[in-house]
Amino acid sequence: MTLWTHELRLLIRARLTVVALALLAILAVASVAAGMAEVARQRAAIAAIPAAQAEDISAVADYVSRTKDAGSAAYYSFHPTWDSPSPLAFAALGMRDVSPYILRVRALGLEAQIYDGDTFNPELALPGRFDFAFVLVFLAPLFVIALFHDLVSGEREAGRLRSLTALPRGGAGLMRRRTLLRWALLWAALALPFAIGAAWSGVGASIILLILPLIAAYLLFWIGFAALIGRLRWSSVANAATLAACWLVLVLIGPTLANVAINRAVPISQGAEIALAQREQVNHAWDIPREETMRRFYANHPRWADSAPLGPEFHYKWYFAFHQNGDERVADEVRAYREGLKRREAAARSLSWVLPSVGVQTLLTRLADTDLTAQLAYQDRIRGFHERLREFYYGYLFSDRSFTREDFARAPTFKGSRVYRHHSAFLEAR
Amino acid sequence: MNHFGAPPILIDGLTVAYGDHRVLDELSLHVPAGSITALLGGNGAGKSTTLATLLGFVRAQAGTVLVSDVDPGADPDGARRKIAYLPENVALYEHLTAVENADYLLALSDERKERGVITDALAAAGLQQRAWDQRLGGFSKGMRQKVAVAVALLREVPVLLLDEPTSGLDPRATADFNALVSAVRDRGTAVLMVTHDLLSAADVADRIGFLEAGRIVEEVEAVGAERFDVRALHARFAVGTERHAA
Amino acid sequence: MRKTQLIARDELRLMVRNRVAVIAFALLVLLTLVAVLSSWSHQRANAELRARHQHEAEHAFDAQPDRHPHRVVHYGHFIFRPLGPLAAFDPGVDAFTGSSMFLEGHRQNTANFGDVRQSSMLIRFGQLTPAFVLQVVAPLLLIFLGYGVLSRETERGTMRLLMLQGVSRGQMVNGKLMALGAVAALAGLPAMIGFIAIAGQPGALALPMATIALGYAAYLALWVVVIVLVSAAVRRSRDALLALVALWAIGVVLLPRVAPDVASAAVPLQNRLQTDVAIARDLRRMGDSHNPDDPHFAAFKASVLKRYGVDWVEDLPVNYKGLLALEGERLTSELFDQYARQSYAAQNSQNALVQSVGVLSPTIALRSLSMAAAGTDFAGHQRFLEQAEAYRYVLVQRLNRMQAEAVNYSDDTATDPGADRRKRVSASNWDKMPDFTYQAPSGGALAAGALPGLVVIMGWLAAAILLLARTSRRLGEGR
Repeated sequence: MTLWTHELRLLIRARLTVVALALLAILAVASVAAGMAEVARQRAAIAAIPAAQAEDISAVADYVSRTKDAGSAAYYSFHPTWDSPSPLAFAALGMRDVSPYILRVRALGLEAQIYDGDTFNPELALPGRFDFAFVLVFLAPLFVIALFHDLVSGEREAGRLRSLTALPRGGAGLMRRRTLLRWALLWAALALPFAIGAAWSGVGASIILLILPLIAAYLLFWIGFAALIGRLRWSSVANAATLAACWLVLVLIGPTLANVAINRAVPISQGAEIALAQREQVNHAWDIPREETMRRFYANHPRWADSAPLGPEFHYKWYFAFHQNGDERVADEVRAYREGLKRREAAARSLSWVLPSVGVQTLLTRLADTDLTAQLAYQDRIRGFHERLREFYYGYLFSDRSFTREDFARAPTFKGSRVYRHHSAFLEAR
Repeated sequence: MNHFGAPPILIDGLTVAYGDHRVLDELSLHVPAGSITALLGGNGAGKSTTLATLLGFVRAQAGTVLVSDVDPGADPDGARRKIAYLPENVALYEHLTAVENADYLLALSDERKERGVITDALAAAGLQQRAWDQRLGGFSKGMRQKVAVAVALLREVPVLLLDEPTSGLDPRATADFNALVSAVRDRGTAVLMVTHDLLSAADVADRIGFLEAGRIVEEVEAVGAERFDVRALHARFAVGTERHAA
Repeated sequence: MRKTQLIARDELRLMVRNRVAVIAFALLVLLTLVAVLSSWSHQRANAELRARHQHEAEHAFDAQPDRHPHRVVHYGHFIFRPLGPLAAFDPGVDAFTGSSMFLEGHRQNTANFGDVRQSSMLIRFGQLTPAFVLQVVAPLLLIFLGYGVLSRETERGTMRLLMLQGVSRGQMVNGKLMALGAVAALAGLPAMIGFIAIAGQPGALALPMATIALGYAAYLALWVVVIVLVSAAVRRSRDALLALVALWAIGVVLLPRVAPDVASAAVPLQNRLQTDVAIARDLRRMGDSHNPDDPHFAAFKASVLKRYGVDWVEDLPVNYKGLLALEGERLTSELFDQYARQSYAAQNSQNALVQSVGVLSPTIALRSLSMAAAGTDFAGHQRFLEQAEAYRYVLVQRLNRMQAEAVNYSDDTATDPGADRRKRVSASNWDKMPDFTYQAPSGGALAAGALPGLVVIMGWLAAAILLLARTSRRLGEGR
């Protein structure tokens, strides 16, 4: 038997170690399974869109085809957008439980639609999801503490340290072997379930190869921490208590304090103000001459300026024009709001250098495209799609073309698929 | 084994001090191959520090320490490769069996032994066969020590260091242990035991050194079949410890 | 009794001499103070912001010019969920539910702009509130200070020494309970001081506050008993510490996360798209006001004509378009209510599932108790949503009735250049519309919502005390 197999035998004879490793592996498997189930639920919900949408649109088409009025078509048609979970989303669900991944929009003012949420149970979201990122960031350090708090002090307390060190292979090398072995086993308990789940979910090899060392590095941070505390030559009990206290600070208290500090340093109240202002802008159009609205609209969108002048009766092109004017008038607030959100996220990201727990969580949610950046990116894609929707309907409205049943099929459809280039996405975000 | 070259344990003018306090004060001690030297001394005489220096745990301020020509201060691992060490309180792994413990400790000493060789050594150390494959959880101190002795026996090294080996053993176990140590000596090993068990030392040692305040104040060699005059030794030891206490 | 107090005093003296313990305790107090202050100022700022927004929204509504009532139906109204004073102690789901809601005719919008979508990922690590400190951090401090209270004595053999001095097992255990209980009381004190400060605010109700105080006291007492229990049952201090930290990690960190996952897998929730499509489908089945041949609306028209004894809608003394709007709103709102009820029922059964896991984790029970009493749980949000919907319905129907009564049918259908002017009703009508006032639940209702959690915690406490009594009978036995 080699020295390594000897150490392995010693390790698996210790009940605490075996129980701890088995428990960690079970938790990792459970979290991967739970994450994959959640992602499957989200995929199923997205897959169910076309059927529901077809039914809804065909009813609108039935109604509109009586008048062939493009305005009614634009007004009554909801168009679905969705944010498909990335292959890695199972490992870090991030914000996907609280921010919508399906949103239907109309060609009306977007600022009154884009902040809408989906139905979710806030009490379930409150404690956070049980995903792989949680097991890694929150729980794995506790297992490191359980396995490493008495690495040396345990031998000292058992009275073996002196005689072990007196053996040629029993000194620092022995502790190195034990550290490496425990590290490798902890890593395997986390990495194997993750890698299998990731391969199953179709995560690219490069991402898996990035996260596997990340797991090892995060464990190493805590192992190094335990070694540092171990150098103080305190008792095993004191080591365990100190390490658990450090865990509390680094994983729970630090991030919560930072959240308070960041939200204070970067105040964001524009959200509701945008909604209020946009409504005011939109509805104001009813109280001013309609030509004024059209002038403003044509100034910003000259390509429709050749459209026939408004008659005395209601015309939807005026209606849609003031909706778009409303959006455009709050554009600055929207930009400021968005900048605020990005600043908050950037502040949290820079905190990664101080709090490895935050770093790992941030990195995982970034790679999985489940963070605030991903949420904003989804909003950008909705904005792009909404732009195409407007263009499409304006083509009928401003040239008074009739909108037939066939035209419903010509409406732009949301491009749900994304190209996942995680490395570059992450590096850009940095 | 070189009976004619430098002795496996060679200490010359060894001085170890913690701050102003000299624990070892120009200590000199040679233990030739195939002999047993007992260091007798009261608490604080420097016995443990002598062993710790040989094992490379403590660095000498002055003097020469060589373990089979290796300086433990410069190359502790090299020195430890030459030493089998039996601590005062033998602590082993409770959740391993006797054989597994021996196997493991030998592996940490860079030695591989077949199971048969290990069980032979356990038997030679006086451990009954039914205990070989039992976990150490229920072992008595004597039984634990037998496992440790078996490991020491199996390590074919030139130096054996014993730290209070007979404390806590009953007379019968002490006699058994002494017989084992004699057998090791007869293989050509240089044995150094530090103890305050005068009777045991007299029984087994070839030479006895009296350690007081970090130096050997007197050395007695065994002569003939009578070996030592135990009474005289006892009187000498009592004086030494009293002097130290005063 | 004297001996019990001596033992308690001795234990406390030991803790005071332990520098690490004192530092940890001081940090907890500091953390609580930071939590109280930041949470309070956050609640105040949020409450003020929402009140200001609410005021602006009401002002904007009342300041509308002459408008056609149906325009006002679509102009709609913004309402903001007010934040009760107890939210400073436990904001519950406030950050996770939007606080502002746009109310308009025949549409039900979501509550938007919740903190969770406006914060970085950090918010998912938890929020620094007095409730968080007491639920999560305080038990861990008690563990650090208390794991050794009995195991240390067993390990060092001082247990038997004390027993030989005539100290009974009961006195021993009670003394340790007393010492650790004193620490727990001290640890809870800063949060309670903050609590009393909150109580000074208007709108704070006595009964829910008492429930919260009782719940947290019982929760900390439970930890004290459990810590002494484990310390009594285990032979080595290290084992006691590891076992207690494991218990804490499972009960406080793991189960509260696993339970929601189980609940959301067990009880599916219909998403908004499916709900909207289903409502539209049901609406088409009930009646399509746009379709002149629709049977429901044909019957409605006939009944209206009959009621007024006329043959044509033009002859009606009221504006038929307004009546149609009233009827349409009635139909859609019925459906909204029906689907909302379904969604609430699903979410409530999810929450009930989580609470049944609370039988395993007192922390879950305490959390739901705390949120329920503070009015910041899902039930509180539901209360807001229901009131919002009721208000929306009343507002829209008043406007529809105004259209029926104050706008002439012929004007309403005219398209000549002056028609727009004639369709409008006077701006003086808008500030006669009722404002949304959130009806806060009574103290009794809040406390009643907190009752199940309280029962669970009390049950745990009783079980732990019984178990401790049993375990302590064997104290000092064995090798």
